[in-house]
Amino acid sequence: MGVSTTAAARKRSLPTPGVGLALVIVALAAAFWAAGASGGARQATVKVWFLQGEQMVTVDRPGSSAEDAIRQLLAGPTRAEARRGIETYVPSRTPLRSVSVQNGIATVDLGVKLVKGTDAASLLARLSQVVHTATGPEGATKVRLRVDGGTPLGVFPGVSAAGAITVEYLETPDAPPAKPPTVPSTPVVGSVRAAQQRLADLGFLLPSGVDGQDGPATQTGVLAFQKWTGLARDGELGPQTLRRLQMATKPAPITRGGSGKRAEVLLDRQVALAIQNNEVVRVIHVSTGASATPTPPGDFKVYAKYAKWWSVPFREWLLWALPFNGGIAFHEFPEVPAYPASHGCVRQSFTTAKWLFEFAEVGMPVKVISRSR
Amino acid sequence: MKARALLAALLLLGLLAATASASPRQTVNPGQLTVGVALPSEGFQVGVVRGSEVLYAQGFEIDLARALALRLDLDRTVFLQSRFDRLFSAGQKPWDMAIAEITITPDRRRTALFTRPYMSVDQGVLAAQTLERVPKTLAALRTLRICALRKSTGALVAQGTIAPTRPVVLAGNVDTLMLDLQNGHCEAAVYDAPALGTLKDRAPRRYGPFIGVIKTGEKYGVALPRGSTLRSRVDRALAGLIADGTVERLQRKWVTAHLENLRVLR
Repeated sequence: MGVSTTAAARKRSLPTPGVGLALVIVALAAAFWAAGASGGARQATVKVWFLQGEQMVTVDRPGSSAEDAIRQLLAGPTRAEARRGIETYVPSRTPLRSVSVQNGIATVDLGVKLVKGTDAASLLARLSQVVHTATGPEGATKVRLRVDGGTPLGVFPGVSAAGAITVEYLETPDAPPAKPPTVPSTPVVGSVRAAQQRLADLGFLLPSGVDGQDGPATQTGVLAFQKWTGLARDGELGPQTLRRLQMATKPAPITRGGSGKRAEVLLDRQVALAIQNNEVVRVIHVSTGASATPTPPGDFKVYAKYAKWWSVPFREWLLWALPFNGGIAFHEFPEVPAYPASHGCVRQSFTTAKWLFEFAEVGMPVKVISRSR
Repeated sequence: MKARALLAALLLLGLLAATASASPRQTVNPGQLTVGVALPSEGFQVGVVRGSEVLYAQGFEIDLARALALRLDLDRTVFLQSRFDRLFSAGQKPWDMAIAEITITPDRRRTALFTRPYMSVDQGVLAAQTLERVPKTLAALRTLRICALRKSTGALVAQGTIAPTRPVVLAGNVDTLMLDLQNGHCEAAVYDAPALGTLKDRAPRRYGPFIGVIKTGEKYGVALPRGSTLRSRVDRALAGLIADGTVERLQRKWVTAHLENLRVLR
C-alpha cells in the first residue's frame, strides 16, 4: 500500500479551459458531514464522483483511502442528493473485491455486475465514476480497473480499459463536435408556407423558418405545437394539426414572473418556454430526463454559457449548453425524441439550440415545472 | 462365417452410432462445451478475461455458442481466451470448438475443421475522424495509412486488394486496432464490416465516416480442431439454429451495424 493521505491533501489540476468547464463541483455533502463532526477533530473526507445531467459532480464523504472512496461510491447518492438529480450509473450492490494503491496506480477490483448491460452511455459513465473516485486518495494518479480479478476487454465502447486510465484521458475530448446536419432542399409548398407563418406568429417557429419547405425546423416547430396543445406527436402537418393551428392562440407562461428574460421547462408537455417580460417569445420542443434519470423540478438560474461543453462521463460534446442546475443544462443533441429521453438535461434540436443560447443570459431564471395543465 | 460377418457388421454399426451421437465424453470436459474465443470484438464477443479464463462474456457469438451447447445437450459452456490465429491453427487445442468471426478459407481448412457458415460478411473500411477527405475508390485508399488486424482476412484485403503505398499497420487485437484508428496511427481501418459497423454504432463520434465495403463474400464458420469427432453434430445443431431463426435473432440483437446503404469500393 502507498502512503495514505487525506482528501484535503488531494489536489487535482484543473483541466484546460474548454474541458475544465465540463466539471461541475458540487460540495453538497460537505456541510452535512462537517456538521456530524462538529466539536471534534476535523474529519477526513474523500471526494466521490456521481453524475448530474450530462456532467460529473463530487460529494464529500468521510474517509481517507482509495478503498473508502470506492466504498462510498458503491453506496450511491443519498435520497436528498437523488432528489436534486444526483445519480450513479454504477449498478446497485456491485461487489467490491479489493482496492490497492501502489506506485501511484490504484487497482480497483469490482464484481462483474459493473460491466453487465449494453447501454454504451451507462457503461462509460460507470468507468468515469470509478476512475475519478479512485484518483487522488493515497496519491493515486492512474486507475487500473479489474473485474473479478480479470481484465475488461471491449466492454466500454471506444475506451480501452485493459491498462491503467487517467482522469486526464477521460476529460480530454477525443471527438470533434458534431457538425449540424446538412438539410436538403425540399419543394416549396404554399400550404406549408401558410402553416409556417401561423407557427411563427404563435411562437413555435422563427420568422426565418417561413420558407415553404417542410424541413427539420418546421418539424421541430410542429412537434412543439403538438406537445403544447396535446396532439399526437409526429411532427407532421396533418389535417388535425392544421385544423388546431387555425384556432390556436398565442401561448402564455405557466407562472407569473418579473420583467426580463426567463424560461420555463414543462416536464409534462416536453416543451420549454422562452419568456420575456411575461410574454412567451418561443415554444421549444425539448426532451428532458428519462424516467431513470429525471430532470428535477425547481427554481434555478443559468450560471454559465458554453458554446461547446464536453461531457466527461458520456464522452461527447454538448453544443450551445446553458447549465442551470449543476450538470443539468439546455443543450443541443442529435437525437431529440418526442418523449423524455435524456440523462437529466434538456435536449434541443440543432434548429433551436443556438437561438436559445443567444436569447439566454447568465443569471436568467429557469423554472422546471412538473405539471403545467 | 456368416455369423462372424454379421457380428462384425453389428460391431461396426455400434461403433458408427457411438461416433455419430456426441456423448458428453466427446467433449474436452464431459458435459461441458469448451469454446475458444478471441475477445474483444464489439457486438460479437466482449467481456472479462483472466489469463485464458473468460470470467464474463456477452455478444452474438457468445449467445450462439451457448445455444449450440443446449442443442448438443451440454449443460455448461466455458469460454477460453486465445490469440485469434491460434483458434484455427494446427495442433491440439484445449477447446471443443472456436468461434470468433473466423472466415472459412482454404488455408484455414488445412489446419481446422469448419461447420457450415453462420454469417456472410464483407470487409469494411472505417475512417479516422482526422481524415479530411473521404476516399470513394480503392485507388484513393492507396495513399492512406491503413491498419488491419494481424493474420485476418482484413489484413489480406488491405495488403492485396488495396495495396497501399505505405506498409499496412498490423494490430494484435481489435482493441489495439481501434486505438490505432482513434489515436491517428492510421487513417483508415480494414476489418469485417459488421464488427466495424457495430463499433461505429456504439461510439459514433470516436471515429470518422464509414468509407464503404469491399465485397469479399466471406463466410464465418465454427472452427474445430482437426480430428474432432464433434463436427457433424455441431454442424447439425447450427443448421437447426439457422432453420429456426435463432441465428438471425441473435445477430439482430447484438450486431447493430447499419450496412445497407454503404458505398461498395471498387
